Amino acid sequence: MSEPVLTVSGLRAWYRTSAYGVSREVRAVDDISLSIAAGEIYGLAGESSSGKTTLIKTIANAIQPPLEVLAGSVVFRFGDRPVDIHRISREALGKIRWKHLSYIMQGSMNVLNPVRRVRHTFFDFAFRHIGRPKPEFLQVVRDHLQRLHLAPDVLDAFPHQLSGGMRQRVTIALATVCRPEFIIADEPTTALDVVVQKGVLAMIHEIQRELGSSIIFVTHDMAVHANLTDRLGIMYAGRLVEEGRTADIFRAPRHPYTAHLIASLPRLGDTAPKKGLDGAPPNLADPPPGCRFHPRCPRASDICRREAPPMAELSPGHRAACFHPEPERPA
Amino acid sequence: MGRILIDLLRFNRQFAVGLVLLAIVLGFALLSFFSPYPPNDSFVVPPDVPPSWAYPMGTTSRGQDLFWLLTFSIRNTLLFGVTVALISRLLALVIGLVAGYCGGLVDRALMSINDTFIVIPLFPILVLFYFVMKDHMSWGLLALMMACLGWAYDARLIRSVALSLRTREFTETGIFSGMSMRQILVEEHLPYVLPIVFSTTMNNINWSIGLEVTLSVLGFTDINTPTIGVLIYWANQHTALVAGIWWWIFFPVLLVILAFIGLFLLAVSMNEYIDPRSRLGRSGG
Repeated sequence: MSEPVLTVSGLRAWYRTSAYGVSREVRAVDDISLSIAAGEIYGLAGESSSGKTTLIKTIANAIQPPLEVLAGSVVFRFGDRPVDIHRISREALGKIRWKHLSYIMQGSMNVLNPVRRVRHTFFDFAFRHIGRPKPEFLQVVRDHLQRLHLAPDVLDAFPHQLSGGMRQRVTIALATVCRPEFIIADEPTTALDVVVQKGVLAMIHEIQRELGSSIIFVTHDMAVHANLTDRLGIMYAGRLVEEGRTADIFRAPRHPYTAHLIASLPRLGDTAPKKGLDGAPPNLADPPPGCRFHPRCPRASDICRREAPPMAELSPGHRAACFHPEPERPA
Repeated sequence: MGRILIDLLRFNRQFAVGLVLLAIVLGFALLSFFSPYPPNDSFVVPPDVPPSWAYPMGTTSRGQDLFWLLTFSIRNTLLFGVTVALISRLLALVIGLVAGYCGGLVDRALMSINDTFIVIPLFPILVLFYFVMKDHMSWGLLALMMACLGWAYDARLIRSVALSLRTREFTETGIFSGMSMRQILVEEHLPYVLPIVFSTTMNNINWSIGLEVTLSVLGFTDINTPTIGVLIYWANQHTALVAGIWWWIFFPVLLVILAFIGLFLLAVSMNEYIDPRSRLGRSGG
């Protein structure tokens, strides 16, 4: 495998607030390391409040207080020079973002300004990154829309005149018009019904194959992950608990949390009632000691309560953070 | 924009009436350029003549043709209102958008200044201002002073909208794509608040004209520039009502009321335009 496009190592990002003399630390991203290769679609899964969005905000350096990065690095490699996105100047950051690294935000249907025509939004966000005179820029945008099977007429529409799925496609077109090498997609299909979702996913896949970009794709919808992603990272309570090829994880999850997550998915012919996992995800301001999953884990032992398990490679390309992983299942 | 105006004219009676009233007042103001007499000359016509064909609005005790004098007065009054509104809108927009966008300390500092302006009593301050300036008082100075006092309500309104715009996805994406603060405020937030500003501009013009008339009637302004208020001031000085020169008071008051109603109706009907969705609902698009 060639050099990874994105290398995250030992990343720690906490929300630190202090109000009325009470200081709180919410450890939303705690010691996460991962790497993403060129042309790969990396899925990030986990339940709500497991730190998915915080992680990718940190990766994109779209950080606002009270979120702080305490440790670790996020290194992108566009071309041949690696850049640590938290250690470069604002100007350099401005040059990288949108052109090389674009971000489809959560609730991204609202990325389009409701009082401006879509055309203006394209100008505002992408014009300076493409660096061509206006008519040429418009032609680039039109061609791009056409490639994504969108009528160029949408440029003259106001966002409220478009349907939800249409807006979502326009947003994706907006994020990919500069042909970025890396795309961050935060739940881009969550608000859509399954039919529209299918179309949008196909579109993301198509554009990814055409541009050869890498995508980090966040959603809690495991069915989407199964269909779209090459590799999958499972987050629980601010930590990465398992990572591997999507097919491997679905076939034989090693971390007990992942195992429960996969087991909760409905399968054809499966008539047994589904059982929920007892307990609730931990409060990240006061996480349990040791493995954060141990209060809910059926396999927990003493060591799980004392020590946090490190990420360990259990089989080639398949890592999990567990002292008592589920047994390996032969392919 | 043209189509919107035509639609508003056709479907919105308030807008149509307001526009017609304002057109009458504006047309009257424009007549001042054809006046046979300069505004400050007195005893150019026989004094105290009631309205007749020769003098449609009569003449004043100072020997001025009220019709032509009134054209100058309403022109100056409208100009005054528009000047105050423009300057104060500029202040309100800049302060409101910056405070809302920056938030935090900047917001708190700007809004404490803003709240100070909201609670201080305007009228005594303007009277005091007159007594400090006395002979140096001009309508330009008064307009500037009133603009400095009249931006606060709107700045708060704009800030409240900007506060919510700051957390919208299009702002975050704008920041992410490398737009500067100025670009975001001008390109993304300004179009959002502009319709609201349109509507309040009309109210602000009304407010400033009203205050100017009040000050002038009491003689607390430059009484040598003819405005509606100054006209009434001189009528009072000559005890026009006691002397039975009713037209000297009646016509200025009538004209300024027409202007008020016109502006008010425009402000109200502008709400139709503020929300593009309601516009669509009306045309069934």
